[in-house]
Amino acid sequence: MTYTISPLPHVKSDESVKRVMWGTVAALMVFVGIMCVALVYRFGLPGLELIFPGIKILFVTVIAAVVTEIIIYKAASQPIIINDGNAVLIGLLLALILPLNVPLWVPIIGAAFAIAVPKYIFGGTGTLVFHPALVGFAFLLAAWPTLMGVESTPNLGSFSDLFLETGAGRLIEFSPIAVLLGGAFVLYKKYVDRRVALSATILLLLLMPIVGMGSQLPYVITGGYFLGLIFLAADPVTTPVTKKGRLIYGVMLAGLILIQLYFNTYFAGMCFAILLMNVFSPLIDRSTIPKPIRGK
Amino acid sequence: MKIVTIKTFDQVIIPLQQHDGAVCDSLVSVGDIVSVGQLIGDGEFRIHSSVSGEVTAVSELPHPTGKDVLSVVIKTHDGEKSEIESVELSTGKIRRIIREAGIVEPNGQPTLRTKEDIDTIVVNGTNTWDLSSHEALMLDHPSKIVYGLKALMETVGAKKAFIIIELGSEALHVMRTETIPDSNIKVIATPRYYPPGTENTLAKKFARKKVPRGSTPEDRGVIVSSIAAMKAIYDALRDGEPMIKKVVTVAGAVGSPRDVLVDIGAPISHVIKECGGYSGTPVKIIVNGAIPGAAQYSDEVPVIKTTTGILVQTECDIEREPPAPCINCAWCVDECPIGLMPHLLYGYADSAQFDKCAGLYIGDCVECGMCAYVCPSKLPIVQIIRYGKHGVAEMEASE
Repeated sequence: MTYTISPLPHVKSDESVKRVMWGTVAALMVFVGIMCVALVYRFGLPGLELIFPGIKILFVTVIAAVVTEIIIYKAASQPIIINDGNAVLIGLLLALILPLNVPLWVPIIGAAFAIAVPKYIFGGTGTLVFHPALVGFAFLLAAWPTLMGVESTPNLGSFSDLFLETGAGRLIEFSPIAVLLGGAFVLYKKYVDRRVALSATILLLLLMPIVGMGSQLPYVITGGYFLGLIFLAADPVTTPVTKKGRLIYGVMLAGLILIQLYFNTYFAGMCFAILLMNVFSPLIDRSTIPKPIRGK
Repeated sequence: MKIVTIKTFDQVIIPLQQHDGAVCDSLVSVGDIVSVGQLIGDGEFRIHSSVSGEVTAVSELPHPTGKDVLSVVIKTHDGEKSEIESVELSTGKIRRIIREAGIVEPNGQPTLRTKEDIDTIVVNGTNTWDLSSHEALMLDHPSKIVYGLKALMETVGAKKAFIIIELGSEALHVMRTETIPDSNIKVIATPRYYPPGTENTLAKKFARKKVPRGSTPEDRGVIVSSIAAMKAIYDALRDGEPMIKKVVTVAGAVGSPRDVLVDIGAPISHVIKECGGYSGTPVKIIVNGAIPGAAQYSDEVPVIKTTTGILVQTECDIEREPPAPCINCAWCVDECPIGLMPHLLYGYADSAQFDKCAGLYIGDCVECGMCAYVCPSKLPIVQIIRYGKHGVAEMEASE
């Protein structure tokens, strides 16, 4: 009788990269679903017209991202691995933070850039330095600043704005609560980094009144900020890996966002703060490597 | 009773190395007649015969670690069943009895290592998900475990003891009830499993003594032991029985999975046959749990003192998913019980940068397998870390 021999472990958990990516996509799609229901509940069926341009952008961006990835795989004569969901996730995140009134060719260029440059030039999933969706957004903002302006900026005026924001200029800003629900799911499943997301969010909300920026709080308790702090800033690939390092990252991020809020515009400021923190990630990692606690 | 006693097999194979350290010297030769509890190997540890019978061979035979180790093969005599005599107890003797009973912790170390002042005892009662031998022991013999613990506390002069049990285990309630009269024994629930080799982590976490890297918990006055050792101490003190039996969990594709009490040296095939035999075609036989365990070349290897479980897997249990690239999710870093950076070690060892591996303390890895278990990319982290350890050893040897 011969038996199979292999190094340990002999079982592996059910989680996989595929599930991490598609799980995050699912959390964002649930957000889109809740948002649609909330709009129909509030305004009836005509309410959907409000987000129709956003949904159009969403489909176009995701398709552009996937097609770009397939072209790159073909050009590099690599086996096409599109079902890991990474391209879909990047496209989806980019679509959610684009202004609703942007012409449709802009997200196509943005998605193609986000996949080709920050993802593939830096070595693909796992080795990239900057979050691709944010790089795509920053690229579009720098290239066509006039087209990237939003028609309205959300501002938490009343309690009902938490459920349905009427002044939304981006798809993600329609319902802060729905973003938090999706965020709670990915945090619970550890699909994003808990330490970064929680330390940055809590510290930011606590620090703003303390440093005298309490009047700006209504601009921060919005879907865009929750998406940024939970889904974009705490993305596993671009954050540090050491336990201490992740806390430091979250704290530094909160500080940078504060500075950006003081000098920069409301949403782009946060995006640039996250991109800037991405640069620090390897440095933080290198300087916080722990000493193991093993005996002789 | 949860634990089922398995009847003695007609032949046992007792390896003379069941611990960390050198192989013991054999005190018997072919043709000798031995009885239960007779000393057959001496050295760093004492090894006793678990059956009465005739020594038929002393030779190198397969061992659960995968090596061939000098072992004593004893053919059991029919009908003859000699009982071990109970020994008289006096407090001064306890230390000697514990040492002479040949008790080995699951990590291959003795329970009493030094004569330094001990202040706290931490008893590890956690199991991996497929093993339940510690839990079964606590459910069946709570008073014996507490007796063993108290005897050890008295011997070393410890003031406090902690019993660490997994959250949700039935044993939690049983042990809490059992230790009500003893205010200095505390039962603590923990959400995770502590594999052998994480003694310093346990000392730091539960005894609140920071043990620096490279020193043992004993240096800070803490003994980290296990439930199995407590039961063995009771057996040695009350029944005069050295460590010749072991509670082992038999799980997976067998007729009736259960916790069994086995003679040390019984072949795994015999234990499985007594548990209803294989159900389906066995493809993989794993000793000591699915995550930290070792796959076996043969089912003729014996149960030894550090064995805690036997798992049988069939073809459908075996994963053959190809690995994906690392996504820096840091789940392995969160999971590592001793605080290493498994994904960095993987990356450096995989690209043969052994100097960087050594700088990240690759030699400290206890190979518990938790990093590779949680890895969403399904990377063979432990395999590559072993390769890295080998590379570091070669690099240091050539310097």
